[in-house]
Amino acid sequence: MSMQIDEDQLEIIQEFVTESRDMIEQLEPAIIELGQNSDSEVMNAIFRLFHSMKGSAGFLEFDHLTRVAHAAENLLDLIRNNEIELVPNHVTLLCDACDFAKEALEMVESDFTDESMGTAADGMAENLHQAIELAKGVETDSAVEPGANSPATSEAGIKPEPEGAADELPELEITDEMRQSFVQEGNELLQSAELGLLAWGENPEDNEAIGDIFRQIHSFKGNCGFFGFAQIEKLSHQMENILDRVKSGSQLAVDNPADQLLATLDILQQGVNNIADGKGDSITNLDQHLADLNALVAPLLGDFLVEEGVQESAIAEAVETQKKPVGEILVQQGAASLDQVDNALKKQQEKLQKAKTEAKPVSRTKTPAKRQDIRVELGKLDSLINLIGELVIAENMLINNPDLKGLELENFNKAGQHLSKLVRELQEMAMTIRMIPVSGLFRRMIRLVHDISVKAGKKVDLELIGEETEMDKTVIETITDPLVHLLRNSLDHGLEPPDERLAAGKSEKGTVKLSASHEEGEVWVTIEDNGRGLNKEKILEKAISKGLIEGDGSDMTDKQINNLIFAPGFSTAAQITDISGRGVGMDVVKKNLEKIKGKIDVSSTPGQGSKITLRIPLTLAIIDGMIVRVGTTTCIVPTLSILEAFRPEMTQITITPEGEELARVRENFFPIIRLHDILGKEPDSKELSDGILIVLEYQENRFCLFLDEILGQQQTVIKGLSDFIGNVPGVSGCTILGDGGVSLILDVGTLVESVDNKNDKAKFKE
Amino acid sequence: MADHTTMTTMDNEDTQKDKYLTFHLAGEDYGIEIQFVIEIIGIQAITEVPDMPTFIRGVINLRGKVIPVMDVRARFGLEDRAYDDRTCIIVVNIDGTEVGLVVDEVSEVADIPEVNVEPPPKTGRSAEGSYIQGMGKINTDVKILLDVHKLLFSGEMQEIAENMEED
Repeated sequence: MSMQIDEDQLEIIQEFVTESRDMIEQLEPAIIELGQNSDSEVMNAIFRLFHSMKGSAGFLEFDHLTRVAHAAENLLDLIRNNEIELVPNHVTLLCDACDFAKEALEMVESDFTDESMGTAADGMAENLHQAIELAKGVETDSAVEPGANSPATSEAGIKPEPEGAADELPELEITDEMRQSFVQEGNELLQSAELGLLAWGENPEDNEAIGDIFRQIHSFKGNCGFFGFAQIEKLSHQMENILDRVKSGSQLAVDNPADQLLATLDILQQGVNNIADGKGDSITNLDQHLADLNALVAPLLGDFLVEEGVQESAIAEAVETQKKPVGEILVQQGAASLDQVDNALKKQQEKLQKAKTEAKPVSRTKTPAKRQDIRVELGKLDSLINLIGELVIAENMLINNPDLKGLELENFNKAGQHLSKLVRELQEMAMTIRMIPVSGLFRRMIRLVHDISVKAGKKVDLELIGEETEMDKTVIETITDPLVHLLRNSLDHGLEPPDERLAAGKSEKGTVKLSASHEEGEVWVTIEDNGRGLNKEKILEKAISKGLIEGDGSDMTDKQINNLIFAPGFSTAAQITDISGRGVGMDVVKKNLEKIKGKIDVSSTPGQGSKITLRIPLTLAIIDGMIVRVGTTTCIVPTLSILEAFRPEMTQITITPEGEELARVRENFFPIIRLHDILGKEPDSKELSDGILIVLEYQENRFCLFLDEILGQQQTVIKGLSDFIGNVPGVSGCTILGDGGVSLILDVGTLVESVDNKNDKAKFKE
Repeated sequence: MADHTTMTTMDNEDTQKDKYLTFHLAGEDYGIEIQFVIEIIGIQAITEVPDMPTFIRGVINLRGKVIPVMDVRARFGLEDRAYDDRTCIIVVNIDGTEVGLVVDEVSEVADIPEVNVEPPPKTGRSAEGSYIQGMGKINTDVKILLDVHKLLFSGEMQEIAENMEED
């Protein structure tokens, strides 16, 4: 393609890149699944994905990508037809093909061409071909059809398998299920093509619309070819040709080609309906329809005709005729009477109606109601959510306006309540907009687990549970890396090699469970393996030698010991191999989790495996907050961290020789942090017995916060403190209260650390 | 396309060129380039933020946006003065960072052509010396023209930023 990229093309290419990425994301897990059990459904799904990718890439003239996709398709086709057997090597090869495609897409995204991928593509395609040859050589000693794996393809060769090979292959058996999915997909494609055509008919200048229609029809044609519905394929191919002409800017013979194209679409739809009814794909008057379509490009056809010696006037007449509906032409030609045509039209209508009503339920029973998604730029969503946050604040300011104090305003209050309700709903809706299921993230792990298990020579079953659980998109992005690290650890160090497992009386195959669920107002993502578990002795040993803990650690709970693996300094590679592994990248896990205010729980039974739970707050934008007061200042404490609140009595307070204040709550002693010290404020009273202590918990650490008064509870829209100010210890952000004032949100995590630091410093000074 | 945008920004710069918002602070007149100024608001409730340099007074709510507020008096190490109804907050925006500057009193927007701007005095050993961009002359008056970027980011604020990066 001469690379003059205009904006339209750019958009198409970008769309292609996103689409293809989605496809690859679906491809990878499917390929792995195929490796485990060669299910024909999965096979076909993979085949279709490669095929679609090839189609789109071909359309955009990304030749290298097309070539590789085609080679993969060839391989798949042979496997599908049981001509060659699937070997693990094929799975790896297909995965490599995905990798290649990813790389190529990146190239396309930045340079708008995949030209630089030439060598890689050659290698990849060559590998695939070799795999085919090799497998074929093994399978059949006799004549191998060289044509079957020839890399030479043209757009016309969209049919997955060259005809030549067909006679020695068993005919592809089309199951009912396959037919139904073809019908469903066909219906969808034709419908969107129809919508596109209608839009284009109104605005013929819209080249992008034509591009869209072209792709729909192209995919449709591909599907037809794949199923061997030759007649529909022929017609859609013809239609594609015409669209291609339109796309390249050549004039059509008629003023409004959209109508004729729509008519063709109807015929195609009819064909699909016929297939849905199990009647095969024959189209009556196929030749006539083809001719009709051909007439659309009359100028070119005319040239041919003139060459053939046809008089130009005759051609002009034919063109004129072409503007009329099919029926009318037939009447004019005397090939049909007016009545016949009318009847035919009526029948066609009835048939269409009937077929449509019949076809719908079929497709519905096959697949659950399809989600309709639109792609929206994330920035737009974010500003929408920000605006709604503003709205919540504005509503608060309005309803609790100080000017209204002491007024009896019945109607105002009613309207206000209504407004509050709507705002609340809007807010909830906005939160769900950003939520996406974790399935995408989980499915990406399938590939990872496959790769690692192959490399490490271990046998692993990955179980995915709760894929439909929804999480904030940002959160999902943030936990991707931690999940990778944790899984890698589980596989690399947690699970034993097969022989060791057998020796330990376990099944040869290890299991890693990846699950997500909603618990206690949080999302829990759990990685559980049935490997050898954490080695406590070694962790302790290491921790003691590193000076991370004092004493011999005999007073530590299992949980505390397990949590040591997240301690800084515990995570350099050399140490990790010593302590049964865990630790690589654990700092990444911890840092990323902290970013989203998440917590980590580790539990492990020696010899039975370990379980790591990531506990992540549902949303980052709004929290339940307790409004507290010290002197004239109000602050917000996240309600989730609060265990209890009480007014202490002096008998409950103990002061250590170092001057540290401890509060006894039942059997436990917790250090006391004075909020007024942190904020540098003057409290009502410095006497502990005059104020309130609230017990806060953060990752197993508990402490008491001393303050004057609890004012109430409120849904709090979190706002970051300005970048200008940066990170403030003890403060995670701020919010705007009903009266318009700004209130700080306390960060329980850093408050805990400030207690620790104070202790450390005290110790250091000694 | 590209030419067009540069033209418009140039137009903007042209209309804002040589224009300074002047304000009063402890008996002196200061000016900052008008292109950085977003708006001027009256003094309002400031929420203190712990662990900040003294001249960062805290944060305010500017129509739903939370922006930090710097007391320019404190920034220059001048004596504190109680806020009154003439005290103003000038909201400036530098590279997307919005900050409020507390000043005693805002005067006017003045035109000071480049020829009337003298380079800053070299001797300046005082803290404020480094924030000066030049001395602007209007007839007999002298306005101290401040470098907003340095005012916001040099010294302690720079350290804070660096500390953040280390984190």
